[in-house]
Amino acid sequence: MLLRLLDRLEEALIAFLMAAATLVIFAAVVHRYLSGVPVIQDYVLHWNLAWAQELCIYMFVWMAKFGAAYGVRTGIHVGVDVVINRMRPDLRAKFVLFGLGAGALFTGIVGSLGARFVYHIAQTEQVSADLEMPMWIVYLAVPLGSYLMCFRFLQVAWTFVRTGELPHHDHAQVDGIDPVEAAKEGGPA
Amino acid sequence: MNAAIIFGLLLALMLTGMPISISLGLTVLSFLFFLTNVPIDAVALKLFTGIEKFEIMAIPFFILAGNFLTHGGVARRMINFATAMVGHWHGGLGLAGVMACALFAAVSGSSPATVVAIGSIILPAMVAQGFPKNFGAGIVTTSGALGILIPPSIVMVMYCVATTGHPQAPSIGQMFIAGVVPGIMLATLLGFTTWYRARKFGYPRLPKASGAQRIKALRESFWGLLLIVVVMGGIYSGIFTPTEAAAMAAVYAFIVAVFIYKDMPLSRVPKVLLDSASMSAMLLYIITNAVLFSFLMTSEQIPQNMAAWILDQNMGVWVFLLVVNILLLAAGNFMEPSSIVLIMAPILFPVAMKLGIDPVHFGILIIVNMEVGMCHPPVGLNLYVASGITKMGITELTVAVWPWLLTMLIFLGMVTYIPAITLWFPRLLGFM
Amino acid sequence: LMSAPVALAQDQILIKFSHVVAPDTPKGKGAEKFKELAEKATAGKVKIEVYPNSQLYKDKEELEALQLGAVQMLAPSLAKFGPLGAKEFEVFDLPYIFPNKEVLRRVTEGPIGKQLFSKLESKGIIGLAYWDNGFKIMSANKPLIKPEDMKGQKMRIQSSKVLDAQMRALSALPQVMAFSEVYQALQTGVVDGTENPPSNMYTQKMHEVQKHATLTDHGYLGYAVIVNKKFWDGLPADIRTALDGAMKEATAYANDIAQNENDVSLAQMKASGKTQFHEQTKEERAAWVKALMPVHKDAESRVGKDLIESIYKEAAAAGFKM
Ligand code: NA
Ligand code: NA
Repeated sequence: MLLRLLDRLEEALIAFLMAAATLVIFAAVVHRYLSGVPVIQDYVLHWNLAWAQELCIYMFVWMAKFGAAYGVRTGIHVGVDVVINRMRPDLRAKFVLFGLGAGALFTGIVGSLGARFVYHIAQTEQVSADLEMPMWIVYLAVPLGSYLMCFRFLQVAWTFVRTGELPHHDHAQVDGIDPVEAAKEGGPA
Repeated sequence: MNAAIIFGLLLALMLTGMPISISLGLTVLSFLFFLTNVPIDAVALKLFTGIEKFEIMAIPFFILAGNFLTHGGVARRMINFATAMVGHWHGGLGLAGVMACALFAAVSGSSPATVVAIGSIILPAMVAQGFPKNFGAGIVTTSGALGILIPPSIVMVMYCVATTGHPQAPSIGQMFIAGVVPGIMLATLLGFTTWYRARKFGYPRLPKASGAQRIKALRESFWGLLLIVVVMGGIYSGIFTPTEAAAMAAVYAFIVAVFIYKDMPLSRVPKVLLDSASMSAMLLYIITNAVLFSFLMTSEQIPQNMAAWILDQNMGVWVFLLVVNILLLAAGNFMEPSSIVLIMAPILFPVAMKLGIDPVHFGILIIVNMEVGMCHPPVGLNLYVASGITKMGITELTVAVWPWLLTMLIFLGMVTYIPAITLWFPRLLGFM
Repeated sequence: LMSAPVALAQDQILIKFSHVVAPDTPKGKGAEKFKELAEKATAGKVKIEVYPNSQLYKDKEELEALQLGAVQMLAPSLAKFGPLGAKEFEVFDLPYIFPNKEVLRRVTEGPIGKQLFSKLESKGIIGLAYWDNGFKIMSANKPLIKPEDMKGQKMRIQSSKVLDAQMRALSALPQVMAFSEVYQALQTGVVDGTENPPSNMYTQKMHEVQKHATLTDHGYLGYAVIVNKKFWDGLPADIRTALDGAMKEATAYANDIAQNENDVSLAQMKASGKTQFHEQTKEERAAWVKALMPVHKDAESRVGKDLIESIYKEAAAAGFKM
């Protein structure tokens, strides 16, 4: 139950960040052009959107960290699997577990380093240049995202041990495009 | 010695099948931990700041735009337009497939996405018309690769990211403009191969579309084609920076898919956002770790030493470029383009610059290499995608793509040794 | 988290000096000069590795890297210290705060400069010297004679609250943008204009893509050479003295080069004829000063009224009334 909630939260967060960043940059560009139009500019020039770029970057960095965790759950991270795919199944299983363990180790270490780093920055008065947001909050993406990713690696490993199944991202799968239907519609008249 | 340890470790970790991003990160961690005085906290900093750059944000925006287009009916309308234009020549629907791939490549930044968008529609149609399955599969697998050569291109953004900081690093705008002519040229060559083989084997042609039909097809695909103007026109005319153009493209594609073509219900938008975020996050995660890796190499002075060593060999530009091609084609056997570019470009770029190779020319030649790599086994994303659509085995597909793959290799040779193919157009426009 | 001095073989002390510009810029040359002088002055006991072009750390991360002890020495632009929590440094960005170089030197080489550096110590940073880039000129694709000419112009600035306020005071639209993107943005028209010392404008070839420029000298662009405090305090006293001496000499050298490059660059740009350069009359300058003085007032809450007034006093002592 709680896991389900975490899954949905993770998905909602990254989808929201994707949409929000797009809208922020869209608004900033529109604002820039309106500011060049006589008459209108008198109304919009005083709006300050100088922070748009910075906000967009921070939102995408957060999206990247949490999206990477989501990606572990859905199996989107690409690896060089040509060698292990030729091994006999029991040996391959060992390598798969080794890989997942390495992922958990790396993200666990990085999460801890990140936490230490955030703690250190929180002792300072550092703020971001445009939004003047405390930097430790901004950097929180590293420990939070990495620990979540670590958890996901362990989760996937546990499922693999129990069921032998791995999440697999199918690059050829496109929602809403059914090849048979498409053939009927797409064929030239 | 350190270089050997670093690359040995990286290679060993990668071959275990773990994600490339994790192998990069673990290599850096272990090296920093055991062998240097660089404080390991710098890693946490780099993991955040590695992607803290507005130019990089073009990647998620282009992915989002591309997903709106793939899910919407833009691809289908482009295919109809292409069919109306070239369907009556030898190759018929196949030739239209090449042209549709080129058109879709001009609005999408990714090759596999182009294969999916065009392939999943045109391949079943070709089979229904009596083309052998492998003919269509060969066309779409290779023409889909145009996705990263015809701008916009995510891999070009990666190349700019990977070379950042070098005084001669090219801009995204320069790379995009430089991709136009090689992209059209390769599309033409692939089209010629298609035409030649179709004529030889007597594959079906379509009745010639009337002027009215053509105009109708053009009108229907107009909103999709207009995106080319938004992106390239926007960048070239200075309305947008490349990243802004990408964001505008995403908003525009959303409007076209949901409100103009109405191929996508609003209820599917969250799923598209989620998929785009997930794909972007995966790429950004590779970038982060690759930036970390190239930081380690710079700290250890490896690119500098390697550049000095290669220059000592006195191999000259001709041989160097040959070596680069072989190296990249070899890498294309095991890795996907983003990782290859992010790992190899920081090492090769400084040498290329010392040898007086143009940074933009060097970039395009890397991109064409990546295109070839995507179309052959054992690792080739386009091949996998095409296999998913056609339900053909990889071995069978590998045989199917060879005529077009050979065309691409010939083109690679031309791009490598005739810089003018790349540089003529951006110079004409005063972009470099 | 802070690292002690890195011990090399034969107890040599290693200083990694990282910066974000090319080796052949005034700052790059200053760094190389310091390396040469410091290694000589310490008879090889100190080894300095200079990393130019953001090879190790970028603009946005180098200060954190210094605080972590990952590098020992940097020369960031003065605008970088505001976000670090030393808002006083934003005073350097104020338009027309330094009527000329003499007043600037009185500030950077006098008690005010020392007092400003002392604000960095709580951040684990010691300031060693102020290095010039130069005074800025304003450029665009239309003549900028009166302050009103700036209205609605999209002006590239580097991230800074004061520069943002300065452009807004002129009714221009400030656009934050990385330095490396500026040329293309100007060429294509994403932004209309920008402000730069002549040498930056010339090395980035901005004169090719700007039709007009006014020699406003309205603002100052400078750097501070800084070291990690823990590292510096841990050095033997005689080494510190030697390094201080070398820094003094390198500073004079870097500032001379900066002035010289600005002069040469301006002459080259004028000779190229691609940009029309406008020299302000006394009245024109007075109009710009008048338009921009409210920025000082607004900044008081951020940088401190006392600090601004103490600089006014230095200006008065040099014969300028603000
Ligand atoms: Na493309
Ligand atoms: Na391949």
